Amino acid sequence: MIIAKGTIYDTKQQDDILEHIEDEIIKTLSEKSLHIETVLSAIETLCKKLQDGDFDDIIQSLSIDNADMYKHQAIKMLSRENILFKLKTELGENFLKEYETEPPRNFTKIRIKTRPLGVLLHIAAGNIDGLPAFSLAEGLLTGNINILKLPSADNGLSVRIVAELINAEPSLADFIYVFDTPSTDIAAISKMANISDGIIVWGSEAAVSAVRNLAPVNAKLIEWGHKLSFAYISGYEDKENELNLLAEHIITTKGLLCSSCQVIYIDTDNFEEVTAFCREFFPVLEKSAKKHLPSDIGSRAEMSLRRYADKLESFFHENKKDMFNGEFCSLVPKTDSELELSDMFGSVLVKPLPGSDIVKILRKKRGFLQTAGLICEAKKRKELSEMLSRCGIVRITRAGDMSSAFSGEAHDGEYPLRRYIRVVNEQI
Amino acid sequence: MKFRRILFSTKNAYSQNTDKIFVKAMKENCEYQYRHCVEYRKILDGMKFSPNDIKSMKDLEKLPFIPTLLFKKHKLYSVPPSRTVIRATSSGTKGIKSEIGFCISDLYAGLKMVLRVSKLRGLFSPVPCHYIVFGYKPHRSNKTAVTKTALGATLFTPALSRTFALTYQNGKYSLNLENILQAVIKYRNSRFPVRFMGFPSYTYFLMKMMDERDIHVKLPENSKILLGGGWKQFYTEQVDKDIFYGLAKKVLGIDDSNIIEFFGAVEHPVLYCDCKNHHFHVPVYSRVLIRDADTLEVLENEKEGLVNLMTPMLKACPVLSVMTDDLAILHDGKKCGCGIESPYLEIIGRIGMKDIKTCAAGAAELLREMKI
Repeated sequence: MIIAKGTIYDTKQQDDILEHIEDEIIKTLSEKSLHIETVLSAIETLCKKLQDGDFDDIIQSLSIDNADMYKHQAIKMLSRENILFKLKTELGENFLKEYETEPPRNFTKIRIKTRPLGVLLHIAAGNIDGLPAFSLAEGLLTGNINILKLPSADNGLSVRIVAELINAEPSLADFIYVFDTPSTDIAAISKMANISDGIIVWGSEAAVSAVRNLAPVNAKLIEWGHKLSFAYISGYEDKENELNLLAEHIITTKGLLCSSCQVIYIDTDNFEEVTAFCREFFPVLEKSAKKHLPSDIGSRAEMSLRRYADKLESFFHENKKDMFNGEFCSLVPKTDSELELSDMFGSVLVKPLPGSDIVKILRKKRGFLQTAGLICEAKKRKELSEMLSRCGIVRITRAGDMSSAFSGEAHDGEYPLRRYIRVVNEQI
Repeated sequence: MKFRRILFSTKNAYSQNTDKIFVKAMKENCEYQYRHCVEYRKILDGMKFSPNDIKSMKDLEKLPFIPTLLFKKHKLYSVPPSRTVIRATSSGTKGIKSEIGFCISDLYAGLKMVLRVSKLRGLFSPVPCHYIVFGYKPHRSNKTAVTKTALGATLFTPALSRTFALTYQNGKYSLNLENILQAVIKYRNSRFPVRFMGFPSYTYFLMKMMDERDIHVKLPENSKILLGGGWKQFYTEQVDKDIFYGLAKKVLGIDDSNIIEFFGAVEHPVLYCDCKNHHFHVPVYSRVLIRDADTLEVLENEKEGLVNLMTPMLKACPVLSVMTDDLAILHDGKKCGCGIESPYLEIIGRIGMKDIKTCAAGAAELLREMKI
């Protein structure tokens, strides 16, 4: 299914639409601009509908755990005040105002104004429900014309959101094109890329690298790739509580998120301390795992079988012998310090990493680093946060909040909206 | 492997008096694997189990089972791979494959088994036929067991012709249903029967395509549909068996008594063939335990769980007790009514989390590779 200028077309018409898309876009660029109030108002209507239960059927069909919690989180995120807060945080207090400079030493005054980048191609990933629509909304808030390529795994939620937005504010129609082009249709995607000013790609290393290959040099690449996160422990403020929260985080996110803890680092160069930590933390993790067992037999069977296979494999490798194995979780102590993906689904790595080595070790994963959940004595927090900031990490949270959303936070170290606009200088 | 020889020489593939010899053959196999496969020995030692612990059927519940996931990550051999005559890989429902080797004596045991099991549904016939294979046309790059068994099964009767649905072109296999359709139309007036072989999903796609185009034929008498290899990546397309049988009658004129399904896994190369009531009874060469999805403890009949398959068939690889990725129920054999009394296995589905979504770096790739 395709949405172009507010009309729904069959996928078969893709080539026809792409044939004329550039002319349509040039017309819109020349004649129209998108007012932020229009976008805010459309999102407000959408948010109201979400609140009134209009989306409950589709949310139900996603069969996700804690759907209600996510719905309320979405309502809060989509509220007008939160979006204005985001705009102000990312683009500055006076983000819409044009102004004239007052330069020193008699330099010529110029007028400063911000404008949309132009045409944004969003190559969205299916790994978070509604993500394609979220990416599109960011493009609209910055006034861009948006071409959205849906992921193959899209479940209909994104299209529904887009349709509701256009319904609420029909003038948005000229600024939205949605295609369900498969990623293998390189010719069509290249065509979309060739008329774009910016290409936003979400997804795995393979997806990002594929887009790098097809992107024309004159399009700006904005990459939201997959990331790795870890917890760092150097003493405690409230040990029992902090370990509980860390365990809950590991079990509930299943290691699947960018912000999920893959490795628990212990601030030490003594491996004994690593295994001592495992002994202490394992029962805590097991308690959480048992509390959050998946409801369907297929998932539970996969988890128990994976953990059983881990146990058998541990007999093959000397360094895996000290694994701590439960039915639904495991702790794998390792002597090296590399940041790597865990086996997920309740399995997490535990490694030594003395504070003095943080930059040296973690820098190896530059570009992939996202969240550090820091558990430490209060007096060390400032110093350790600074050290973690230096290694390339972009979020530092308390261990239980590694995957919590914070209003006004950057996205993987950047303010996306800033990348979707350009600054125009005009001589007066 | 004396006891294996005795077990695989059992005349009736569904005899009920083979427990004693089965236990002896398992012990014999376990001792061999323990001595010759380093990894297997490490597993048994790690799980504190000795081959000498096998004295009765009950003891086999305690024999450490190996999940197929482990065969995907490690090559486990008890003879040098060079001494194996065939190496078969799983067809890789998704991602990486298991590799299992067979030595000469394994194949010999297998051959005797195939002959006896296929007698059940009268698969051998001197009447030649046309084969339509919904599988891979053999090519040197393809080692999958499905390819081998599909081709092997075309030897049940003399083959007049073989048409393949998956042909190798430009370095990859592609599905060519039109080609198959032409063959069906061509052979409908033949004096000799047609035999379809291979993946149920492709057979189903062909029949659906024929029905949509309103092409209904009556194939020569005794034409058969032989199904095997599971539903592969089309699991969500899995249709109710009755719908499948109905469609076969409608578009090909084949009765359900001429539809025969096989079940097997590369890690458990025992041939399961369905009975006339389309149930997979456990043959003498194999035993099945259903284990609890949480605790992995053995469950009683009629309860759903993970499938633990046991056989002393192979010398080359330690596959004597493996855990597949299926969820199934083991039913009391008498309930079937076909006359075979050994319990029968009903596959309910596959394990796995639905629709895993991830944004952790490298996770999507790893999950794809390690997809159970």
